Amino acid sequence: MKTIPSDIGGEPAGPVDTIDHGMKHWERQANAFRSVVQMHGITRTDELRRAAEELGSRYKDMHYFEITTSAMRAVLLEKGLFTEQELAAKMAEIRARFDVPDEMDSPIKKAASK
Amino acid sequence: MNARAQAKSTYAPAPVHRFQIGDRVVVKRAFPPGHRRTPQYIRGKQGVIERICGAFPNPEELAYGFDGLPEKVLYRVRFLQTQVWQKYAGPANDIIEMEIFEHWLEPVQN
Amino acid sequence: MSTTPFDHYARGHHDHDHAHDHDHDDHQQPNPANEHDNGPPGEYEIMSRAMQELLEAKGIISAEQVRKRMELFDEEFPYRGAQVVARAWVDAAFKTRLIADGRAACAEMGALLEAERLIAVENTPDVHNIIVCTLCSCYPRALLGMPPTWYKSRNYRSRVVFEPRAVLREFGTELPDNVTVRVHDSNADMRYLVVPMRPAGTEGWSEEKLAGLISRDMLVGVTVPRVPV
Repeated sequence: MKTIPSDIGGEPAGPVDTIDHGMKHWERQANAFRSVVQMHGITRTDELRRAAEELGSRYKDMHYFEITTSAMRAVLLEKGLFTEQELAAKMAEIRARFDVPDEMDSPIKKAASK
Repeated sequence: MNARAQAKSTYAPAPVHRFQIGDRVVVKRAFPPGHRRTPQYIRGKQGVIERICGAFPNPEELAYGFDGLPEKVLYRVRFLQTQVWQKYAGPANDIIEMEIFEHWLEPVQN
Repeated sequence: MSTTPFDHYARGHHDHDHAHDHDHDDHQQPNPANEHDNGPPGEYEIMSRAMQELLEAKGIISAEQVRKRMELFDEEFPYRGAQVVARAWVDAAFKTRLIADGRAACAEMGALLEAERLIAVENTPDVHNIIVCTLCSCYPRALLGMPPTWYKSRNYRSRVVFEPRAVLREFGTELPDNVTVRVHDSNADMRYLVVPMRPAGTEGWSEEKLAGLISRDMLVGVTVPRVPV
């Protein structure tokens, strides 16, 4: 019985996809952002790992950078670097900047393909 | 910039440590809640101290924003695969090694 | 040149800051296909960007620091491991230092690692090393760049500890039973680098030519270097 969702050594699993699919642009941003935050000593790796584990049953269905981004959010909120309200407002501002509604099916795709 | 000037050694074995290289140890079979760096599959398994890595802040405390002090001694422990997995399909010499903090290890009585 | 919304998104208002720097669009990237994402930014992308902008606004970090870090991950880190191993192949004294204290040996070559300790493990005719992090995806990023997709995958992390030879076969690496497979679960403060065996037929090769034989996968231990025929 696994109590920690990330502790998966020894579990049966399928074949390894041996191709490296690289990183999306935003994943490179998220990675570099995390690296800079770490360099400033704002978060510890162990805190981010712990916050990732606390995703619980959500962990297994999330992609790597979704997990790390969620963990970063949790730890930065814990440390009071911003509030939930500040983050929500900033995210709303960014959505508006790129014309992305909260729901999917943004018109941005059509705009981009012109 | 002289790169060689920056090449100071980071290898600092812990001055005080309970186990020596070659000692037989068993990983505690315990399942406490919280952040742990000892994988569950290795708990309760017997191995041998491969090297003493040094003393490091305790990740079980760092994970919650504490300073992790006093530091804990970290070892690398070597296990025979056939002693870790009952149905290990490979040769008997295959091994697996990992880092385990001192407070997760107990001596094996002969 | 067409500009996608993501061009704008990636650069934000910083274009003027580094227009005189060098032109990234003409610079070869390891994964050019992924230079820009398609479609609207997703929820986690917006979250990550928002966190960065919040910390920028509070003066804690700068966009320039993040951009510089992206460049290092793209253009420098991925090639350091091969350079270190090629040096070890031609310089026995360096190899001894690398095995004794990996971090200090890398620093000699100007590669300052983020991790406190690097353990270099040498493949021999009798032992083959392979690295995994079952608990997360610990990896010597400042030496090898970002871990490949498979290193972070559930299937690799779950299986390589109990059936390493089956996983190695999936990478096309078949090892005889008289070679000990030594798995390293990189679960705490150490980071790991596999030093592969220098292939026969490379006598007299320059360090640079040798480095060209070495791929990241070899330095994690899932494949071994060969001289192209």
